[in-house]
Amino acid sequence: MKTYSTNETVDAVVIGTGAGGAPLLARLAMAGLRVVALEAGAEKDPKRDYATDERAQEFLFWNDERLSAGENPLAFGSNNSGTGVGGSTLHYTAYTPRAQPDDMLMRTEFGVAADWPVDYHQDIEPYYDELEYFLGISGPNDYPWGPKRKRNYPLPPLPLNGAAQLMQWGCAELGIKTSPAANAALSGRYYQEGVGWREACTNRGFCQAGCSVGAKASMDVTFIPLARAHGAEVRPDAFVTTFDRDSQGRITAVVYVQNGQTHRQKCNTVFLCAGAVETPRLLLINELANSSGQVGRNIMAHPGLQIWGEFDEDVRPYKGIPGGLISEDTHRPFAGKPADFAGGYLLQSIGVMPVTYAKQVARGRGLWGQSLIDAMSRYNHVAGINILGDGLPYDHNYLELSDELDARGLPKPRVFHTDGENEKKMNAHADKIMRDVWAAAGAKNVWAFPRAAHTIGTCRMGDSPEENVVNANGQSFDIPNLYISDNSTFPSSLSVNPALTIMALALRTADKFLS
Amino acid sequence: MPYPSGTVRALLDTDHVTPATREALQVRLAEQPEPPQFFTADEAELLRQIVARLLPQPTDRAQIDVVGPVDQRLAHNESDGWRYDALPADPYAWRMGMNAFQEAAQAQFGHPFAQLDGAEQDELIGQVQQGTAVGVSLNPLQSKRFFDDMLSELTGIYFSHPLAQEDIGYVGMADKPRWDRVGLNELEEREPKAL
Repeated sequence: MKTYSTNETVDAVVIGTGAGGAPLLARLAMAGLRVVALEAGAEKDPKRDYATDERAQEFLFWNDERLSAGENPLAFGSNNSGTGVGGSTLHYTAYTPRAQPDDMLMRTEFGVAADWPVDYHQDIEPYYDELEYFLGISGPNDYPWGPKRKRNYPLPPLPLNGAAQLMQWGCAELGIKTSPAANAALSGRYYQEGVGWREACTNRGFCQAGCSVGAKASMDVTFIPLARAHGAEVRPDAFVTTFDRDSQGRITAVVYVQNGQTHRQKCNTVFLCAGAVETPRLLLINELANSSGQVGRNIMAHPGLQIWGEFDEDVRPYKGIPGGLISEDTHRPFAGKPADFAGGYLLQSIGVMPVTYAKQVARGRGLWGQSLIDAMSRYNHVAGINILGDGLPYDHNYLELSDELDARGLPKPRVFHTDGENEKKMNAHADKIMRDVWAAAGAKNVWAFPRAAHTIGTCRMGDSPEENVVNANGQSFDIPNLYISDNSTFPSSLSVNPALTIMALALRTADKFLS
Repeated sequence: MPYPSGTVRALLDTDHVTPATREALQVRLAEQPEPPQFFTADEAELLRQIVARLLPQPTDRAQIDVVGPVDQRLAHNESDGWRYDALPADPYAWRMGMNAFQEAAQAQFGHPFAQLDGAEQDELIGQVQQGTAVGVSLNPLQSKRFFDDMLSELTGIYFSHPLAQEDIGYVGMADKPRWDRVGLNELEEREPKAL
């Protein structure tokens, strides 16, 4: 494996190896650039090191403490953050629907959030197609929603588990169209360029605590090996703290701590890909790239309300791809009628691991004592549906640095999050639909777990330097050799899971940089 | 809906479980309660009494130690990645939380928590959960938030234990063979049926 000296001025340093960093790293390496990735977390061998045990897998989460404020404080840790070579993709659910064109035009359509400064068909769609084939996405032929696709998914959908079958029944009763979902987990053995054969999913149901099979397209088994095959170096356990800059303000080296030692990697360009919390945090700590005052602003989270029910059938919610079924019939729920809220959402069936479910029953229902034990005794008969919808940016939602220092001596971030009217109305709308679906499918003891998924925003991209942190190519308006590639640049949150779009933007940023 | 006992432990002795998974669960099964490092002996005893009400265990099997892992985490100042801004750092929050139970017990019943009967203890637990317990250790919002965090952490520890997983019929740790029967009412041989 190729390595570089810290004194050698490499073409680029990529900070973070998740969905924003890894695709870009591979692209730059394949173009012949000398690139080094710095990853705060460790590198593990999933086949050897990953246990099918939620507690043993807690190392996958970003466990440095964040302070959650506001009326609807965001849960971090296992909910939406990751660390390790591969970033949060090590524990993403692998749900990979494409955004639809109108997801990127929320300002035009509803007068909220901001339009994306890119053209869906030119700038995003070709990358979706490329990614689906590179990663080996399993999905249906003739996907029923969105623009007509150039070609079908490369692999057929994964088998429907109990929750997916129940949602399919309930939706059919109500006339809601459903489809097997697109998932970045292999329904069959797949040959991947630069990587070799990856084995098919064993339906282990543990995507959110790490895939030990290599079937899930996390970055550690896809873009990272591809990048390495083309000469990229990946340094794990390397926590970036600051930058060296020249008299013009350009970055000349990235300063990081590895095994207690401080190092400086000289470089020509930096790609910051640390996610919507650590990316703005690093910039705020160093007072960088913030002439707009927008770093840390516009934080968004996806309304992710879950409705759980108990069924007579044996569901065994630990088996199969967790998100087997999808409906996007609620993408624009008021078509032709005045909209009660901006944007829309998708519906997803959900399986669940036992500890995650138990903690949700405790936190969400407040059950304890015999009623908690009784509720958990019906775990094998539980199935869920959740939504994923547009969460809007608000002035009252933002990230700042607190006065409290963490173990590294750096200020802990504080994140304010309070739902606006739009999120409340969307959740109420979805609550009714999902309860109706579960009633039609025969559910008992139905209950709601309000939650928000993913953190998005905080370093918005756009055309105007006064209102945005980076331009449409991800390049900082203030520091020309600094780029951001992760979900912090999203101008609106999208009504779909973000990973596929983060990767698409990452490839686009790399291509724009190279050209 | 009870399930047969011994299922997970039996699986750990088969080749249905990968070495990493077996190791994690066998270590947990072998853990024995140790003297607290973070909590005082009194705090640890109080927490054990609270846990007995929050997570009543079947009496016909070994008891799961839920307090030990919390004590270990706090002793090593480990975090799960976030906390409510309304609360101080976890070690302080837990101290204040234990004080809140004791304070409310004295104020309302004139006795320490340990000397109350189950119904009285449950009443106090409900008050801390609702933020209505008498005392100055936690304000009402902090009381609710602390209780949420405490209950969630204790519940997570409890249901991570192979014995509690046997109680609910969970065998997802049998991770080596494929799961081919994943639809409704489809069980693999290694999945226990409810008694």
